[in-house]
Amino acid sequence: MTETTPTDEVGLAVDEEKCIGAGQCEMLEEEIFLIDDDMVIAKVIGAGKLPRDRANVVVERCPSQAISIIGGDSDVDADSEVVS
Amino acid sequence: MADITLPQSPNVTDGSLYLDGIPHERFAELRDTPGLLWHEYDGGGFWAVARHADVKTVSKDGGVFSSAVGHTNLWDLEADALEARRSLIDTDAPDHTRLRRLVARAFTPKNIRRWESTIREITVELLDDFLAKGSGDWVAEVAAPLPIRVILSMLGIPLEDADYLVDLSNYLVEGTAEKQSIPPDAFGNTTELRLLPFNSPASHALFEYGEKIGEARRANPQDDLVTSLVQAEAEDGDRLSGSEYRNLFHLLIFAGNETTRTAISHGAMALADYPDQWQRVLDDSSLADSAVEEVLRWATPVLHMRRTTTEPTEIAGTSIGAGEKVVMWYASANWDDAVFANPSSFDVGRADNPHFSFGGGGPHLCLGAFLARLEVSVLLEEMAARNISLTRMGDAQLIASNFVRGVLSVELAAEART
Ligand code: HEM
Ligand code: SF4
Repeated sequence: MTETTPTDEVGLAVDEEKCIGAGQCEMLEEEIFLIDDDMVIAKVIGAGKLPRDRANVVVERCPSQAISIIGGDSDVDADSEVVS
Repeated sequence: MADITLPQSPNVTDGSLYLDGIPHERFAELRDTPGLLWHEYDGGGFWAVARHADVKTVSKDGGVFSSAVGHTNLWDLEADALEARRSLIDTDAPDHTRLRRLVARAFTPKNIRRWESTIREITVELLDDFLAKGSGDWVAEVAAPLPIRVILSMLGIPLEDADYLVDLSNYLVEGTAEKQSIPPDAFGNTTELRLLPFNSPASHALFEYGEKIGEARRANPQDDLVTSLVQAEAEDGDRLSGSEYRNLFHLLIFAGNETTRTAISHGAMALADYPDQWQRVLDDSSLADSAVEEVLRWATPVLHMRRTTTEPTEIAGTSIGAGEKVVMWYASANWDDAVFANPSSFDVGRADNPHFSFGGGGPHLCLGAFLARLEVSVLLEEMAARNISLTRMGDAQLIASNFVRGVLSVELAAEART
């Protein structure tokens, strides 16, 4: 098992059923979240990745628990995706 | 159901307690006692949740801690009254999600920023008038008109109706206190008071006003919030029913001004009472944001909200049955020393300030949070630009409510030192 570190890059996903369009995520990470103007639901845009500790903050601030962390954790992919 | 042998909470619901400010010692006792304490209340007791961490637990879990069952105020409503009065604030997902999305777009941080120049214009006018007079009732002259003018601009309501709507809003606040000064049939009301928000005939007037403006926008759409609400209603009754529209309109008017007014009133008092803190803001513009958050914490305009359990659960080791009332005391969480260092000092440089003035971070998190922040922020900026110093000229008149920390009036003197 690989150790996870606070700076691992992890992906983020928004559950459209749960999102209430509160915009906390967009305020915290404008490069990653965009509130869709018609649906009023947050979408993940761009690479959609954040260091784990920052991702945790975003997840925690979402009032409707609509954001989850995907990927990251342990596997080989996580390593190969870190390009920079 | 809980019985009287349970360890009892000190009384924190007696409205008259709040005439002297938040009863901090009583809340400290609640926070320091392990588990939760039971609070007797006329019409059904509740579990008093006082610690920051526990408030968050309750707020975040809208499935177990429902806003739709019973009521979000301390007292229960009969089923028909609850239905008639139900607004966004008294719903659970999926109704909540649907209603919230109808208004959410206008209130995202990005869209709120577009109102900055409007907010600034309104603020500058009110501040300069106040300065010209030199002193007066800060509530009537600045704190009340500012937020109502802002929300009216967003809704697309003519400013000449602002005074009328401030009056209505004042009567609504009275509805949360013990005595109302207007008769049940005021404003031509014929509805039983228990079916009206805040049991107030002023709600009838606000509903009527909402219907009237809604009709005008249906006939003649504008680029405003009322138009987008009535269009949602017209396109598809499933998105917004007539009763939902009335209650949402009512909520936007009330929530959009009463609370912000309270924040601006307590904020100004704090700046007058702690001139050294205000001086720090004047000297160091990097404290602008933390000063806004500290004003919001210090003001705690909404003292509590209630939830009702949908299933047996547990908080801080205390077992709670299904269908029981749980009350989140923001007035306590914001002074929890497990989270805030020296909570009883007003510190504009407070670095970490996760206050719950807008709620405990769950799905009902204040819709207007970014708007209210921007209003307080622009006000502080414009006060700083004029190097204004505030002085108290008399005691504030507070209202006897355990729910909102309303200020009826406070005499302040303002001097521009530039
Ligand atoms: C300093 C000012 C304000 C404070 C302290 C405040 C406080 C709160 C609190 C504590 C809640 C949570 C209710 C709960 O947990 O059940 C709330 C909800 C709400 N607030 Fe505010 N509020 C403020 C300003 C505003 C403004 C400017 C608006 C604008 C329209 C607004 C609209 C709302 C609405 C619509 C809700 C219900 C949200 C929902 O249930 O999803 N508030 N507010
Ligand atoms: S913070 Fe959560 S609820 Fe708000 S827009 Fe982002 S995903 Fe949606």
